[in-house]
This record gives sequence, C-alpha cells and structure tokens, in this order.
Amino acid sequence: MTITTGTGDKGKTSLFSGERVSKAEARIDAYGDLDELNSILGVLAAHLSAKKELVAELQQIQSDLFQAGAWLATRPGSAAIDSLQEISAEQIAILEKAIDRYEKELPGLNAFILPGGHVTAAWAHVARTVCRRCERKVVPLIDESIKAKVAVPYQRLLVFLNRLSDYLFVLARQCNRIHGVSDKPWRA
Amino acid sequence: MCLPVNAIVFMAFQINPGEPEVISKLKTNVSTYAAVLLKRQWLSHKSFEITISTPSGFEFEPGQRIRLSRSGHEREYSIASAPKESDLNLCIRNVTGGKVSGFLSTADIGTSLSIHGPYGYFTYKTSPRPAVFVATGTGIAPFCSMARSGITDFTLLHGVRLPEDLYYATQFQQSARAYVPCLTESTTTRTAGGLDFSATGGKRQGRKVSQSLRVAPGAKHPVWKTQPNKLPANAFNGKVTEYLKKHLPPAVYDFYLSGRREMIRDVTLLIDERFPDSLVYTEMFY
Repeated sequence: MTITTGTGDKGKTSLFSGERVSKAEARIDAYGDLDELNSILGVLAAHLSAKKELVAELQQIQSDLFQAGAWLATRPGSAAIDSLQEISAEQIAILEKAIDRYEKELPGLNAFILPGGHVTAAWAHVARTVCRRCERKVVPLIDESIKAKVAVPYQRLLVFLNRLSDYLFVLARQCNRIHGVSDKPWRA
Repeated sequence: MCLPVNAIVFMAFQINPGEPEVISKLKTNVSTYAAVLLKRQWLSHKSFEITISTPSGFEFEPGQRIRLSRSGHEREYSIASAPKESDLNLCIRNVTGGKVSGFLSTADIGTSLSIHGPYGYFTYKTSPRPAVFVATGTGIAPFCSMARSGITDFTLLHGVRLPEDLYYATQFQQSARAYVPCLTESTTTRTAGGLDFSATGGKRQGRKVSQSLRVAPGAKHPVWKTQPNKLPANAFNGKVTEYLKKHLPPAVYDFYLSGRREMIRDVTLLIDERFPDSLVYTEMFY
C-alpha cells in the first residue's frame, strides 16, 4: 500500500472540511508548522527514551497536536466541525500541572538562558520556538472563526499552544536538570 | 476493502483517522465487538455481501467502516447497511490471495468474528450545494448505507467494468435523484459475453458465463446471483471522469468520492479544473 494519492501534484490539498485549497494558504501553513512541532517532539522523545514517564507525557501531547491539527484543517462554519472534539480545559490543565511540577524541582530564574545544554534540552527549545511560530500562524485564523460564530474551540486551541510553549521552556530546563547540565545565563 | 487513509486526507499533515491515538481525539466511539457471520450472498464473480449480527452497543453513522481481523491480518470494510437495520452488511471484493476476504468468502455461516470500529468521517453533510456521489466497484458500500438511511437527494455515478458489478442498482434507481452506471467495457462485448440484462429479464445467459459459474458439488464457493434489474437506459460507456467532463454542468457541488486511488486522483484533479469551489470528501479503497 502506498500513501501517495497524487491529488496534490498541482499545488492544492484537501481540508478536512472538504475544500480544495492552495498549499500556500495560511491554514495549510499553520497546520504544517504544527506537524513540524509534532515531529520535533518525536525527536525529543526518541532522545529521552530511557525516561518512560517523560516519553508518555510527550506522546500524549503529540496526540493532542493531531487533535489541534484537525481544527486547523477545518474551515469554521463547516458541517465537518461536528466530527471534531474540542481541546478540553483538562488538556490545558495537564500542561499547567506539569509546569508547576517541574518548576518546583528547578532553581529560580533571574536571567535569560541560552537555548541549549543537553541535547534533549536543545530539542525542547527548538520545539518551543516552533510552537510559538504556530501560535503566530493561528492568531490570524481566529478572525475567521469569530465571523463564523464558532470562535471558542479555536481560541482554546490558541490557549493550548500558549501553554504548550511555556511547558516546553520549563521542560527544556528540566531536561538539563535531569542530565546534570546547568542552564547557561545570557550575559549582555 | 478500504484502509484508513480516507476522507481526511491531509497527507502533508498526516492525520490518519484509522490510528487509535488519533481517533481518541476526534468524536467517535471505537471499540472491539464480537459478531457472527449470518449470511453470504455473491453479488458478482468477484464480490460478495456478508451479513453479520450487529453487536450490542455498536453504533455507527452511514458512511463509516469497521475493521475485521483474521489470523493477524486486518482489513477495513465500509458498512453498506443503515444504522436502523438489525444486521450489518459489508460489500467485499474477493481479492486474489486476500487473507481476510478469502476467509470471509468461504467461512461457515455462524462463524464468530471480531470487529473493531466504527471508523471514518466519510459521512453525509447537509448542504445547499447538490451532492454528487462517485464510486468505483465496492466503493459503492458507503453510499448504499446513506441511501438506506433515507438520503435521496444525490446524483450517483458508479464506475464498474461489467454490469454484474452494479451492486445495489435497483436500490439506487429508486433512491437517487440520478443514477448513472459507468461501464468501462463496451456494451457489444457485454452482450456477446452473455451479460445482456435487458434481453433476459435479469437472468444471465450465454456459454461463457455458465462455464465460469460452474462449481464442484459440495464446494462452499459461490452461487452467484444475478441482480434482478435491467441495465439502466442511461448507462454510460466510459469512466466516471469522462462522464463528469461530458455531462455534469459546471457548478459548485459537494463531491463524495469512494473507491480506487486512481479514480479519486483523476476526479479530484478534474474538480479542481472544472468545478472550482466545490467540496470534496474522499474514502479510498485498496
């Protein structure tokens, strides 16, 4: 079995909601970045394979990102929205609890830190920056959802990405800590 | 047989609705159920319909599919029956060397089956735009489920090689706004081969056919039953893509494509060119 369909050979792709759109459209750009983020989390999880709990946590986030991607691949106001599950408050709360848990284990921070250190921390920082880029790409899409009067699920998606960016920052520091590497402060 | 790469074909963003971890994040109620094979009816030389018991608690929407497992092999099949019916019907092509279809083609009535599902989002969406259903072969199954569920306002193109492959034709003649069989073998060839429905009132005649249907006494293999319908007068000689090019007026439609990859590719590219701004939902069969 091949995954090739050939329907995108001329620069168009299909949304979950059925529209045929240019692959250069902002919506495709946004979920493409989400896909990039998900793949980076895969690299990070691979480097953390010995830390089973962290891997499970990352894989749950990877799954959540598929859910988020389905929303981005659906035009607000489409009948296909009925098939989608909203990002829940609980999914956001899970990230917040993880942030709190890691912060309790980490030394206080009073300066910017250089992205890097242990390879897992470096990948977590890459993931964080891509997550921030996702946020920037999703913001313009929110207007469309407001016009279609279905803004809430898309706004919650934005909250999820914002919280995930914070989580990835703290996770990067946690990765350095568990591998015995100190964060390098920025010295102006 | 259909596999998970379907209506939600975001190849660039690899959403694969068949994978449990993704399914768990979209609205559905996937689970494993025990069912029993109740009946098998051959629809043509190559394809058959099985009837299985609907497990307690199993619910689905027209257009969805289930996964059947057999000795480590798994295949997905769209459900042809409507949710309101007491049993499930699956329309299956008997693939040469196919582990699951081969098993189902000969399994004893009463055999226990394990089914998993339902899967998929190839469901009918209410819309102000006209719906055009396009199927090849057993890709007709999800449309059968939709029609049996009371959906009637659609045009259906069914691309097949021979008239014997026009499964459920009678039903679609009654339920579709327009039903157009698209035959890729010429009428002349079909008649010469003894497959002329109109001349026989639905009973097949002809030496070539009767020879191919001969089975050994006691064998489980198939008594193929002719559909009791006449080949519709509007049958089109050619592929569904040719029909769409020649006969479907340019407009904005909701297209539902179900069947072979080549058909889905060709029709999708044609839609981009000839029916821009239409919506396209796809279910790919392998």
